[in-house]
Amino acid sequence: MTPNLHEFMFSSLSIPNLGSPTLLADVNDGFWFPTQASSFAAEADWVYFMILWICILFFVPMVFCMVYFPYKYMKAKGGKAESNVSHNTPLELAWSILPSFLLVWMFIQGTWAFLDVRQPPDGAYDIGVQAFKWGWTFDYGGGTFHPELHILKDEPTKMSMRSADVIHSLYIPAFRAKKDIVPGRYNFMWFKPTLASEKVSEIELNNAKTEFAKAGGTWDYEKHQFTPDGYRFYDLYCAEYCGKDHSAMQTVVVVHETRAELDDWIKQYSTRGTDSLEVYGEKLYNRRGCASCHSLDGTKRTGPTFQGFFDRKHEFVDGSSITVDQNYVRESILDPKAQVVRDYPPVMPSFKGQLSDDDIDSIYAFLQTLSSSSPTTETKAETVAEPTAATE
Amino acid sequence: MSAGSLPKGAIIRDPGFPTKRENYLTTSSGVFSWMFTLDHKRIGMMYLAGVSISFGVAGLLALAIRLHLLSPDGWLFNRPIFKSFTDSEPNDIYNQVFTLHGAIMVFLFIIPSIPAALGNFLVPVMLGAKDVAFPRLNLCSFYLWVFGAIFFVSALFASGLDTGWTFYTPYSTTTNSSVILATMGAFILGFSSIFTGLNFIVTINTMRPPGMTWFKMPLFLWATYSTSIIQVLATPVLGITLLLLIAERVMHIGIFDPEFNGDPVTYQHFFWFYSHPAVYIMILPAFGIISELISVHSHKHIFGYRFIAYSSIAIALLGFLVWGHHMFTAGMSSLTTIIFSALTFTVSIPSAIKVFNWLATMYKGSICLTTPMCYAISFLFLFTIGGLTGLFLGTLATDLHLHDTYFIVAHFHYVMVGGTLVAFLGGVFHWWPKMVGKMYDEKGGQVSALLVFLGFNLTFLPQFVMGSRGMPRRYATYDPEFAFLHQMSTVGSLLLGLGLLVALVVLMMSLYRGKRAPANPWGGATLEWMCTSPPPFYNFDRAPVVGDPYEFHWIEWDESNERYVSVEPERKLVPGEEPAHAPAHSSHKH
Repeated sequence: MTPNLHEFMFSSLSIPNLGSPTLLADVNDGFWFPTQASSFAAEADWVYFMILWICILFFVPMVFCMVYFPYKYMKAKGGKAESNVSHNTPLELAWSILPSFLLVWMFIQGTWAFLDVRQPPDGAYDIGVQAFKWGWTFDYGGGTFHPELHILKDEPTKMSMRSADVIHSLYIPAFRAKKDIVPGRYNFMWFKPTLASEKVSEIELNNAKTEFAKAGGTWDYEKHQFTPDGYRFYDLYCAEYCGKDHSAMQTVVVVHETRAELDDWIKQYSTRGTDSLEVYGEKLYNRRGCASCHSLDGTKRTGPTFQGFFDRKHEFVDGSSITVDQNYVRESILDPKAQVVRDYPPVMPSFKGQLSDDDIDSIYAFLQTLSSSSPTTETKAETVAEPTAATE
Repeated sequence: MSAGSLPKGAIIRDPGFPTKRENYLTTSSGVFSWMFTLDHKRIGMMYLAGVSISFGVAGLLALAIRLHLLSPDGWLFNRPIFKSFTDSEPNDIYNQVFTLHGAIMVFLFIIPSIPAALGNFLVPVMLGAKDVAFPRLNLCSFYLWVFGAIFFVSALFASGLDTGWTFYTPYSTTTNSSVILATMGAFILGFSSIFTGLNFIVTINTMRPPGMTWFKMPLFLWATYSTSIIQVLATPVLGITLLLLIAERVMHIGIFDPEFNGDPVTYQHFFWFYSHPAVYIMILPAFGIISELISVHSHKHIFGYRFIAYSSIAIALLGFLVWGHHMFTAGMSSLTTIIFSALTFTVSIPSAIKVFNWLATMYKGSICLTTPMCYAISFLFLFTIGGLTGLFLGTLATDLHLHDTYFIVAHFHYVMVGGTLVAFLGGVFHWWPKMVGKMYDEKGGQVSALLVFLGFNLTFLPQFVMGSRGMPRRYATYDPEFAFLHQMSTVGSLLLGLGLLVALVVLMMSLYRGKRAPANPWGGATLEWMCTSPPPFYNFDRAPVVGDPYEFHWIEWDESNERYVSVEPERKLVPGEEPAHAPAHSSHKH
């Protein structure tokens, strides 16, 4: 079917707007739905309310019968039924066949909208997505990665998604869009955002930043309701159960008004620029998902803490142990399962091809700032052989 | 004829009460007389006890889940008391608890509840038969259930399974929990289910009494028959899945795990190829119960018998073709997805037909709002919501948004709890006098039905709104915007729990303080009401002669003895057959 015909059918059907539930949906954040922020949201909501009205059309008379019949025909024990009609074939055929037409209509509407979602338009803006236990990394190309999803208003955006471990599912309620991310294959989805995220005032942003600088830790999106760059956001959830921190596997979507604004944002995160290794390493720690498993203050999370990283001996599941050096850090980032620290699950995904040498150096430099002692270069050569042998 | 005045001179048939020696509950005593019994009624009662215990355990776990979700950061499992006996983190406890809740409810309660417990008791009695076709196989399937239940639950506990009841790969194979043991447990339980299904198919095919043609069978038997077909055909797939999982783990043949070049979505296909038909194993027997309840308590012929019977078969067959609708977002091809969506809509038609027919049965009936009828009407309301909300999920455009949110959670609870559980309770209240020979307190029963209805709606209606607003399922913590709806839901679950507790108390009290039940307390016309309450060990002295199971005009209320009796002159006999004689002891004892 041609898109034109589709548009014609669709708009002609949606003209009556179907009364009050639609009104509710039209206000931002209505009773039933979150804000409609993608082209698909309006379409899906329209189908939803169409089905809702059909259901109400059936439900109300049925409930009337359920309530009225027992009231009207209630009799004392031993009373006889007023009628004992055992069947009425034309009536039964009617109520079997007529609703089927409504079902066909529902099916067609739902499938039409679905086909739109399936076929990304040519030349859509492509963003790589990596999902892992328990976080997200978005690949903006040119070596720029960030855990927040930043996209452009009215620009069809295609997500090429892969998973580092188990099945996840990318779900943005405001876009009414969801797709599972299955390990071992690429899954794709696309959408066209239609509502740009607001920017909060400089004063509000600065207040929050001062507070954040004082408190430390990670940025609390829930509390501030805007990103560290001062944008309001839409929620992005993992919808497929993936283990312990499934419910924390959330990030935010920011829709930019203009391409220039989006480019500026990406540029801000693209390279180390003038940052020192240590400063940039800390940014990577927060941006690339390290923070979700490795604490800086000694608390035990999914992975070992980075506090005093170079001060202790690390014992592995196979019984061997080493003192951390640069090569160990590198190996743990690129091939995390080669040596797994005792008492921790082997869940860290590999960052091979995702972190440049400069990135790894930066992380290493950052880790050094967290320890009082630092490894000497001389011991490096000896310890390299040992862990490799122990893996076998 | 008005209530209380029986015609003078008419032959009144009522089997009276069983003697202690006849009563199947007292005919022999001692633990072994129960453990090694071949009597389908005793086996049914043992199942009833077993599934009720499973339900109690899984229900308490459900309350724990709801209490945890009282606050956005989690409440219950954050209490210090949990720190004292486990070093698991609150999220881990939550994940294990919801897994246990789902797995126990599905495999130990909902699947065997109606077919194994009520079905075992009722199928032979409704057929006027002495027992099922293979009584030893029947006992064997009970012990398989017990063994499977112990195996399954200990596998879940021992490995701290936290995969959800669906055991999706690769999550289930990469965590330390043991998916193979759990699947094996499910498959042992599956064998119990296959044997029961096989037994019922043979029983219904070969042991119908004279006069009971296929279309003179009570609709509960049609429902049981359809269910049995699914049990026999679908459950083996669970065994195949298990073998494939083992082949992959042991021989590293890539099937489900991407690590060996397998595809996790294949697992979902296998799993749902069993588990979707299993959904109909859960709901079809409930349809059967409701057909009996509505007709008997409206004292009116069931409306559209053939449509109801055929729709059971249609659901059983179509139910095999729609498993893919669990995977609309998994990345199947567009064509496959669309075909599954279309097939899914076809299942909704036979379900709708049944509801229309039940409503038409009540029209111009003579309705008594007894406890079973209250549950039946409650079922109609809840199942209608459950069925209609299924349309949002079968429609592709809306499913993409609603899949894996609380909308789904609410939808299947409306079908499984509002449907199957409520029908099960209605059935238990309906046949309780027959099973134990005691009447329960009617007021208490009605209160329980009302509490269950209110509590259930308060629990799950808010979840539809949460789901539409984008609250994903299986979250141990959640955004504060959902807090109010979650709290409503928790309050509702406590009310629901209270209602179930009242039902339990009412039934237990009846054992000690209940009046002796007459053979036919409700005015039913199916054969189980033609033998004493409780039935004698052999059910019937000789195969009874049957007419229409929904013909009520020869059943009269006997006010002075508070019982319904059959009045002979109007009873239709099959030509050439002698009428069934009431046993000598049963002549008018009033």
